This record gives sequence, structure tokens and C-alpha cells, in this order.
Amino acid sequence: MPNIQEILGSAAAIAKGMSVTLREMVSPAVTEGYPDEPPRLQERFRGTHILERDENGLEKCVACFLCAAACPSNCIYIEAAENTETTRISGADRYAKVYNIDYSRCIFCGYCVEACPTDAIVHGHGFETASYNTSSLIYRKEQLLRPVKT
Amino acid sequence: MANVKLTIDGKTVEAPANTLLIEAARRAGIEIPAFCYYEGLALQAACRMCLVEVEKAPKLMTACTLPVAEGMVVRTNTPQVAQARKSMLEFVLTNHPLDCPVCDKGGECELQDMVFRYGAGESRFLEVKQHVDEREWSPVVFYDRPRCILCFRCVRICAEGMGVAALGVVNRGASSEIAPNRGDHLECDECGMCIDICPVGALTSGTYRYRTRPWEMQHVGTICTHCADGCKTTLGIRNNRIHRGNNRDRSGVNGEFLCIKGRYAGDFAHHEERLLTPLVRSQDGFKPVSWAEAIKTVAGRFAEIRQRGGKFGVIGSNHTTNEENYYLQKLARTGLGTNNIDHHRTGDVLSLLRARVPLATTADLYHSKAVLIVGVDLAQQHSFLAYQIRANWRHHQARVYTVRRGPVREDKIAARIVSVEPGGELAGVETLRDDLAKEPELVILFGDAIQGEAVARLTEFGSSLGIPVKYVCLVDYSNSRGAVEMGVLPAEGGMTLPEMMAAGDLDALWVVGANPLRRHALAGKPFLVVQDLFLTETAQAADVVLPAASAYEKSGTVTNVCGEVQRLQKAFETPGTKTDLEIFGLIAREMGLDLKQLGPWTPSAVFAEIARTVPGYDLPVEVLEAGGAVQAGPSDGLPDAVWAPVQSAGDTLFTSGTLGRYSKMLNAVREAPGELYRA
Ligand code: SF4
Ligand code: SF4
Ligand code: SF4
Ligand code: SF4
Ligand code: SF4
Ligand code: FES
Repeated sequence: MPNIQEILGSAAAIAKGMSVTLREMVSPAVTEGYPDEPPRLQERFRGTHILERDENGLEKCVACFLCAAACPSNCIYIEAAENTETTRISGADRYAKVYNIDYSRCIFCGYCVEACPTDAIVHGHGFETASYNTSSLIYRKEQLLRPVKT
Repeated sequence: MANVKLTIDGKTVEAPANTLLIEAARRAGIEIPAFCYYEGLALQAACRMCLVEVEKAPKLMTACTLPVAEGMVVRTNTPQVAQARKSMLEFVLTNHPLDCPVCDKGGECELQDMVFRYGAGESRFLEVKQHVDEREWSPVVFYDRPRCILCFRCVRICAEGMGVAALGVVNRGASSEIAPNRGDHLECDECGMCIDICPVGALTSGTYRYRTRPWEMQHVGTICTHCADGCKTTLGIRNNRIHRGNNRDRSGVNGEFLCIKGRYAGDFAHHEERLLTPLVRSQDGFKPVSWAEAIKTVAGRFAEIRQRGGKFGVIGSNHTTNEENYYLQKLARTGLGTNNIDHHRTGDVLSLLRARVPLATTADLYHSKAVLIVGVDLAQQHSFLAYQIRANWRHHQARVYTVRRGPVREDKIAARIVSVEPGGELAGVETLRDDLAKEPELVILFGDAIQGEAVARLTEFGSSLGIPVKYVCLVDYSNSRGAVEMGVLPAEGGMTLPEMMAAGDLDALWVVGANPLRRHALAGKPFLVVQDLFLTETAQAADVVLPAASAYEKSGTVTNVCGEVQRLQKAFETPGTKTDLEIFGLIAREMGLDLKQLGPWTPSAVFAEIARTVPGYDLPVEVLEAGGAVQAGPSDGLPDAVWAPVQSAGDTLFTSGTLGRYSKMLNAVREAPGELYRA
């Protein structure tokens, strides 16, 4: 036969538990609705990269290969070329004619961003890179470049 | 010279008197930083990086100009010295752009390393830096003034090392700069020595600039395929492409020397006209076919001709490897049963080998007390040998004698010059008898002006001097010497190259890496098979053309003009091509020849056979494998080979036989060869 103290104790515990439940029911949800709704990412989230442009719209990348040298998974491939009088792609003497990142190998470590002397490469927030075809995981410069503002 | 004892950083060091302090310290393992000091060049004392404390001296001293003395006490690790280095680097950096990320030198820059090791962490210079635009002096040399630290290495290597003196310095103070000899542009050897010796990215080359970065390339040390001097060149390879050649590690016979061809003329390998698939002639011109079909066509015809006892002719190459030359002549002799085998002979090596006189090495040219150059424009045709002799003259005051038809660069350093009419070379040499007999030793270099009987008379002259004499028979192309020694020559009864071309009754002519139609007409209509890189005049006339790999795409050994054997290293591949050795093997197999007797067609297996059978070639493989050069021992003088007249290819600094046509860099230079020292 339970005594009255036990009954009251149980009721208090239930009330306490229910109060947490009820409080959380009315407060905003932390669970994300992805993929039904867009995810909320932190500012410093390291997603697929963006190649930045300077204030004149020129590419910031000067093809110094330092990101490729820093990359632990060796997934950045660059071919450099020289700016000429008629075609100016970057602000310095040279630019990246080809700039590929192989996302089948990238580990999103951010070393490339760290290494870049001109802040040309940054992490964007893209992460939906899954594909049935690994060759489509090699992103080309055209895919990585920040679109020109119009 | 007597040794002296001194103390550097508390360490007792012994060095010959008159050694420079910087050298003595280096040998003792103590680094004194330096920009302008460069071993082998005149002293400059321009950069002040080498300042050290010397006891009893009132102020810091430049270690690069100070000879060691007995009892000297030197300190290189005091705060005062560290401060001096830091300050000197601050000076150097005042107008320096610090654009390492886009600078070609980044990653292998001496200034970067120095600042990292000895420099201040921050810049105190806030003023606007002077900017001067980069200038294109020539297709090869570009100059970026702001990066220049005025160490004058380029000025000195060009004047002293190359004997060209195309660079100088103009203006004063902060506006000082290096200037080219023609005001707005450069006319010179275009050797790129200045570019390579530049400690910073002030001088850059037209081939390499802004293409890639040093750590992105593979560095493959192989032998230059252009002339016979056999310089080692370290090719920078990325994506199956040569981006540059240099030899900063100073390995090989040539040390850091390379001419424009070894440094920048590897671009022929990537020329658009490079043959990438076998071609077989049909009614309407050439038809591209598969390798299997091409080999079948060739082997089928060869076997058929062989069966009915037809007549073969084989023309070998003077830029394929020893292994390939050996295998080809063996295949021709045993497989095709022909003795008609020859190559374009560019110098009379055969007569020299038969004279059984001592042969000089490239090192001998640097050490011999006296050198006689007969009938050749050495600086144009044998740039490296000329460099060795010039260095010998500068460092050891060697006496140089020239016997020549017109002005040559060596005249400038010659003790005596003898001008002769064509054919008068031997008589010219005779006039030097008294001078030469007084020399303690001599090296004689001769070109195609001396051949046949004249070689014997020249060596008799040498022997009659009563001093030790060594010889160099000058030949063109990277492996002419090897072609002779491997037996790409007809034995008694066989036809020579001109005879084969004129014969008219050959059933098949097999041309490997040669372009005989450039000099000779082909009589008759043999079944013509050509192995080459490009559709040369000869290849255009062929029935089957097989695309061959270049020397940079294969391994094997080559023998240079001095008989030094060195190893090629495969640097990259051009898909579609095959090495000549592989092509020989495939044809032999398809013909159903006795492969056991021919031996496997791998370079190492063929070299092992060469070592067994060719006199003088039993060379230490481990030295060759390690990238060393070994002079082939005395040959048996090839008693069977048929002598024939020789003719030099007459290449200059900017031509390289048929190959040179396909180098964009060689064709881009503006200079008329040899004009420089004629004017
Ligand atoms: S994030 Fe890391 S792994 Fe990915 S490209 Fe950059 S350096 Fe390479
Ligand atoms: S010369 Fe050296 S220090 Fe100067 S920008 Fe080039 S890499 Fe940097
Ligand atoms: S390329 Fe050679 S010859 Fe020309 S300036 Fe430079 S060092 Fe002198
Ligand atoms: S160009 Fe280079 S080698 Fe010549 S003075 Fe300037 S820094 Fe020195
Ligand atoms: S001297 Fe001859 S072997 Fe040397 S780099 Fe020039 S072409 Fe090549
Ligand atoms: S190395 Fe001594 S002054 Fe430049």
C-alpha cells in the first residue's frame, strides 16, 4: 500500500516533467525542416568554395598555387596564364585560366582559404554536392566564381 | 699554398691563404648570407649581406672580399651582425614589390629565404614604392626592375661566363637598373644564364614566366638532345609538358651552364605538327593507321624483300640512344642481312679513333694549360665547350690558340690567332709549332675542316710536339659519337649514306631519326620507312611513317662529343608515339626474326649487351644510374668500318638540324647568329 508521500512525490515529478514538455511546446523549434525548408547555417560554415571578385569585378585569384600547395587532399588543380593588354581577367600579372576543385576529395578543411594571399577563395554555404556521377564532382572555375553583379 | 689558421665563431678553421673568408666559412659549415658573391665570378661587394665582425677591425667587414689571414678571429653570430643583416634586407626591400604570390621566383627565391631567416618581421617603409613596368627585352629575357636587387650577377655571368657582355647597369641610386645592350632590347646568345643566376624574380624567361610554380613541377634530370656537348638539363614537367630546363643543382658535366637550346628549346616536343599516329601511303596521300597495322605493313614488306634476297638500306640517327643505335645495326645485320647501314657523319671520329690518341673530356677543357681550336666557330656550334675554355682562361689563365677562317668569339681570349683560307688549317696549325711546343700540355679541338688523311697528320703533329696532347673531334647532334661507336656504319662492302641515296636499286630504305633528303636526292623507288617526330622532307616521301618518341621521352644512354656516356631519363610521354627501340622490337617480332638472338628490347638489357661487346663501353652502371658521366674507354678503332667524307651540320646557337625548325623559341629570337662578335 503506497503512502501518501509517495503519491505526492510522483505527482510532483510528473508535473515537473510536463512543465518542461509544455514549455518546449510553446518555444521555437530547434529541429530543422530540411529538406522541406532551407537549413540555417552558421556564418563560418565551410561549404563549397566561392572564388571572389574585387571591386572592379576582376577575379581576385592570381594563380599563385598556394591553395593547391596547402591542400591536404591535393584536390585543387590550376593552370596559370598571363593577363594581356586586351584581356584582363585578374588584377595582377597572371590569372587562373583553369581552376578546378575535386569535391570527391575535398575534406572542407579550409586550409586553402587560410593560404590564399589575396582572399580570393572563401568557403560558401553550398553542401548539396551529392551526385550519381563522380566526374561531375570536379567543379570548374565557372561554377566556383562569384557571379558578376549586374 | 700554405694554410692559415683562423677562428670563426669559436671554431678553429684551416684554409689555404688567400681563400675568401666567405668560402672558408662555408667549407667549415658556417653560412654567411650573400647575394652578390658568386663562386667563379669576379667580386662585386654590392649587397653587404655578408658583413661579419672581425676582431681588431674598426667596423663590420664584407666576408666576400676579405682573404683569410693567420690568427684572424671572426664572429658571424653577434647581435651587431644580426642587426646589420636585418638592415641590409630592409634596404633591399624598400622598393621591392613583395608580390611573391605572382612572382615566378616564389618558392625558389633567395631573397624570400634570406628575409625568412634573417629579415625583420615587419616593414617600416610606408612611402609609396617606385614602380617601373616590366619590360620584354627579347623573346627569352624579361626584366622587372622593382624586383631587381642590383647584385650584378647577371652582368657578370654574361660578360665573364658567356663572353657576350650584353648587360650593364645604368642610372644612379634608387633609379639604378640593369640595361640591355641595344637600348630597348637585347641581342645576345639568349642563353638564359642571367635568368637562372638571378637570385630573385627580376629576370624571367619567355617560356616559363607565369605558367606554373616550381613546386608544381616534376624535375627530371636528363641530357639535352640538341648538340653533341651532352649538357645535363633538369626539365620542369607538369601535365606531360616541358615548362623549362635549367640545372641549378650544377650536376652533370656542364655544371650550371646551358645554352638556349638546353634551356628553352624543348618545346619542339609539343609542336602541333608532331606526328601522333602512324601513316601509310595510299593512292590519295597518307592514311592514318593503327600501330598494329603499320608494323604489319612494314614487317610484311621487309620479310618479303628479305625472302627474295632483295636489297636493304638502313640510315640510322645521330640523336637516338646508344641502345637504339646498337639494336638497329644488329637488326640490320642479322635480321635484314644487310651491311648497308650508315648515318649522317658530322665529324671524322672514325679517323681519330683509329689514330689511338688520348681523348679529352669536357673537364680537360677547363683544366688544360693550353687549348688549340682548329677550323670551327666554337661559341656558335659548341656553346658548352666554348664556355669551359673561357672559364679555364679566366680561372687558370689557360692559353688559347685559334686557327680559323673568320672572326670567332674565342679570338678575344686567344694568345695567338691564325687566319687561314679554307683548306689551309693544317698549315695554319704548323705555324704555331714553336708556341705549342713550349706548353706543358695541350687539348686540340677540330671540326670537319680536318678529316681523313688530315686527322692523321694533325695527330702526328701533336705527337711531334713532345708534350701530352689530347683531342676532341667535334661532331654535331646529341649522339653522333655513339652512332659511330655502336657501329651504325657499313663494314667493308656495305654502302655509305650517299651511296645508298644514289644507288637506285634498293628495294627498301629504312630511315630512323634522320632527314637525308635534305642534303641528297633519292634515286630509285625503294619501299621507304621513316621513323621520326615530324613530317620531314624524307618522311613526306615515305611509304610508311612511324611516329617516334623524342629523347626527352625515353631512357637509354648517349655519348657526347668528348666520348662521355650519360643516361637519359624519361621525362614525360607523348601519347601515340613509341620509342625507336620499341619500334625496332615490334618490327623484328612481326617479321618472325630470332628474338632470342636479338635480345630483349629494353634499354638496360641492350646496354648490358653493349657493355659486353662494344670495346670501351664496359662502364660502371651505378655511376651512370646515379646521373654521372663516364668517358668510354679506348675503342678498337672499328677496323671493319668504311671511311667516308664527313660534313658538319653547320648549326648555330639558334638552329638544331631539322629539330630546330619545330622549336618556337629558337625561331622567335631575332639575332643573326654570330653577328654579335663580328661587328
Ligand atoms: S577545403 Fe581543404 S581539402 Fe578542400 S580544397 Fe580547401 S584545402 Fe583542399
Ligand atoms: S623576387 Fe622573391 S621576394 Fe621578391 S616578389 Fe619575387 S619571390 Fe617575392
Ligand atoms: S641571355 Fe645569356 S647572353 Fe643574353 S644577356 Fe642573358 S646571359 Fe647574356
Ligand atoms: S636582374 Fe637579377 S641578377 Fe641582375 S642585378 Fe638584378 S637581381 Fe641581380
Ligand atoms: S651546349 Fe649543346 S648540349 Fe649544351 S645545352 Fe646547348 S645545345 Fe644542349
Ligand atoms: S656578398 Fe659580400 S657584399 Fe654581397
